[in-house]
Amino acid sequence: MVSMSVGEELLEERRRRRRAGDPRLNEADREILRRVTRGDLQAEFQAALDADLAADPLLGGHEPAGRA
Amino acid sequence: MVDEYLALDVLRGQWPEGLPEDDLLGLPVTHHYRLLQRVHQPGTGRLSRILAGLSDAGRDAVRRPHPDIVQVLDPRPLVDQAASIGARYRTGGLLMTETLAAGLAHRRALYFGSEDNVGRRFAEIAADLGIAITVLAS
Repeated sequence: MVSMSVGEELLEERRRRRRAGDPRLNEADREILRRVTRGDLQAEFQAALDADLAADPLLGGHEPAGRA
Repeated sequence: MVDEYLALDVLRGQWPEGLPEDDLLGLPVTHHYRLLQRVHQPGTGRLSRILAGLSDAGRDAVRRPHPDIVQVLDPRPLVDQAASIGARYRTGGLLMTETLAAGLAHRRALYFGSEDNVGRRFAEIAADLGIAITVLAS
């Protein structure tokens, strides 16, 4: 059996916790967010992000429609 | 530093391949603000209807991400450098300048979840500042 240092053990625990995501999200919530970032809603999501910048000069400045 | 896409991917438990595991995952406040717009100013489209289906707890996870998972960055230490970047490159958008300032302050590395979320001018300035942009898909 490979032994881990305390530091490695704590880091691994942190990695596991982060990889699991936020426990406040249930399965249905996770599926909604998947559709937003990677599924059928991605184009609408990007359009909404762009629209925020076009509508707000402080946020978007004078760049053409809005990305970072 | 991550954008809206990667923040949501990480929150839902989908760790993007290539995202450093042990670094702070910082979300600039202007990017978080755009996520909050989706929550607080829903429109009439399909995206809004679907997002309205988030549970109260799920909505709270987006509104107030747990700092152990995604940390919304305090803009105060970044704003002076953001203004300086805006002046030097003659670009005023706070989202762009704050994100670049955050990139400079945190290992000169920015991670985006979609090529569509990286503007041409942003990429030019990032390159000039020596900030690496990596686009990851979950």
